[in-house]
Amino acid sequence: MYSGRRVGYLIAAAVIALLPLIFQDSYWRTNLTVCAITVMLAIGLDFILGYAGQLNLGHCAFYGIGAYASTLLITRLGVPFWIAFACAIALAGAAGMALAMFAVRLRGHYLAIASLAFAVIVHQVLLNWISLTQGPLGIYGIRPPPPIALPGLPVISFANAGNMFYLVAGFALLFYFLLDQILRSPIGEALTAIREDEVSAASFGINCAGWKVFAFGIGSAVAGAAGAFYASLVGTLVPDAFIITESFTILAMVIVGGMATLLGPVCGAILLTVLPELLRGFGDLRLVLYGAALTLVVLFMPGGMAQAARLIRPRLPGVRAKLLHDRAA
Amino acid sequence: MLAVAVQQAINGVVFGSLYVLVALGLTLIYGVLVQINFAHADIVTIGAFAAYFFTYTLGGNYVASIGVALLIGAALGWLINASIFAPLRERGSELLPLIATIGVSVLLQNAMLLWFGPIPYSFDSPYSNQVIRLPGGTFITLQNLIIIAVSTVTIALLYGFMRFTFMGKALRAVAQDRETAGLMGINPNAVIMLTFVIASALAGMGGAMLGPILVLTPFAGTSVIVKAFAIVIIGGFGNVEGTVIAGLLVGLIESYTTQFINPGLTDIVVFTLLLAVLALRPTGLIAEKREENV
Repeated sequence: MYSGRRVGYLIAAAVIALLPLIFQDSYWRTNLTVCAITVMLAIGLDFILGYAGQLNLGHCAFYGIGAYASTLLITRLGVPFWIAFACAIALAGAAGMALAMFAVRLRGHYLAIASLAFAVIVHQVLLNWISLTQGPLGIYGIRPPPPIALPGLPVISFANAGNMFYLVAGFALLFYFLLDQILRSPIGEALTAIREDEVSAASFGINCAGWKVFAFGIGSAVAGAAGAFYASLVGTLVPDAFIITESFTILAMVIVGGMATLLGPVCGAILLTVLPELLRGFGDLRLVLYGAALTLVVLFMPGGMAQAARLIRPRLPGVRAKLLHDRAA
Repeated sequence: MLAVAVQQAINGVVFGSLYVLVALGLTLIYGVLVQINFAHADIVTIGAFAAYFFTYTLGGNYVASIGVALLIGAALGWLINASIFAPLRERGSELLPLIATIGVSVLLQNAMLLWFGPIPYSFDSPYSNQVIRLPGGTFITLQNLIIIAVSTVTIALLYGFMRFTFMGKALRAVAQDRETAGLMGINPNAVIMLTFVIASALAGMGGAMLGPILVLTPFAGTSVIVKAFAIVIIGGFGNVEGTVIAGLLVGLIESYTTQFINPGLTDIVVFTLLLAVLALRPTGLIAEKREENV
């Protein structure tokens, strides 16, 4: 692996390790865990939207499927958490692939509306299948993941907000790593080729339909994992946590951070989750901010924060000196 | 049983004609621009609130408030085209304008939430209590009669405009081929602006008439707009006649599902129909016009 990226991962791991030590109160630790969950959602959507170029407005549905699948398996069938977690990932991924297989002939606006319709249907099913999901009343008292007892170490309990953060953030980093590896392989090039021009991609022998289904499967599987963590973090599940607005906030994170870069949406997700918490006094202004950010970024800087960083970087003193030096040499 | 079926047909037509007003705007914009305006939903909501404040705070007449909502909708349409679609048109991206209008929609909804609060407004039209008895034990309220009359007249006027006036023909020409229409001396930008104004005026007046039926909150438009998307696709994007038929069809499906199956399932039935149409006949159930997006 290129050493710069290895350093990047080490820095990310160090930041994750340090954060709960800096933020001791469980309020901020829980917020940080929410941040890690939204990072998973954002990179999952970016994989589908930014790289494969498929506008998916149904991301909230995969998130909801993951949350309800893992919770129902645990509470109804008594399945252990980690098996339920794996099932949630598999089920959300399968739902994403099913939608993609169905929508594979559709592009652009038609896909956007088909995925929107899918999200509406999933929300309505969660709301109306009362015997299974308890409908709008919701499911209460969902437990955090079971404690892990490694030999020779104290038992790690996830009722502790700090440990829960380590778990979720660790998985977020793992998913980031896996998506990054996929995107750096020839698969990533096939996906961007489809995004840029489907006909030319097909003429190079790329199976467009197959790779679109693959992209949807991976992206929605990550959303399913986020859902399973969300349920065990919050402890309650109501269908309205997965309304279509949720898709729009994830979309805002991806766009504000910068589509088609993995790091951009991570920054977008963190910014748009933490910033409103800092502006707590403005409570209801949170989503106004999201909407304004989404519109202004598309109008004036469609590449998002990633584009802004590319524009600023050559002007930073250190980098500038190096560039001038390179040019002189 | 028959009386119930007829009664539900009346309700279905009432809802359907309102959906048609909202969906026609989407389909007109798609026709000339091949773009989706997500903030269309919020023009519906703002139209409903405009009618509410005009009748209750200013003490105006309800029927006049439909006209007020129409004007406010038209102004919003102008604003959205001028600020979002016109600047993004040069970039030629298919998805960026859609994403930008999602942002506008989230912004408007939550600005309204701050302003008007989350508690539903009870918007009772003064005509809702006046019942006209029809033969066979069915009835229609004066309010619903107004809805059907205003919608029918509006749709007929729109059809006549598109068919017989110069600007209407120019609009259809731009929808068919923007460049060639430009070569024939039509100003495509003016036509696109006109389309936005007409489409949003329809949404505004639709909102004024939906206000008393919906639960009037800042999010009221969203439930309508997702159905309008379904109607536009079932009818065929950019196809005006198809939109009218599909809108009435969806209205009838809703009222019959509510009566005979389960009120909770209406959205599921409508959207399953939408997905089925997308799978089997993506150009719409009715005659097709465009194919390049499928």
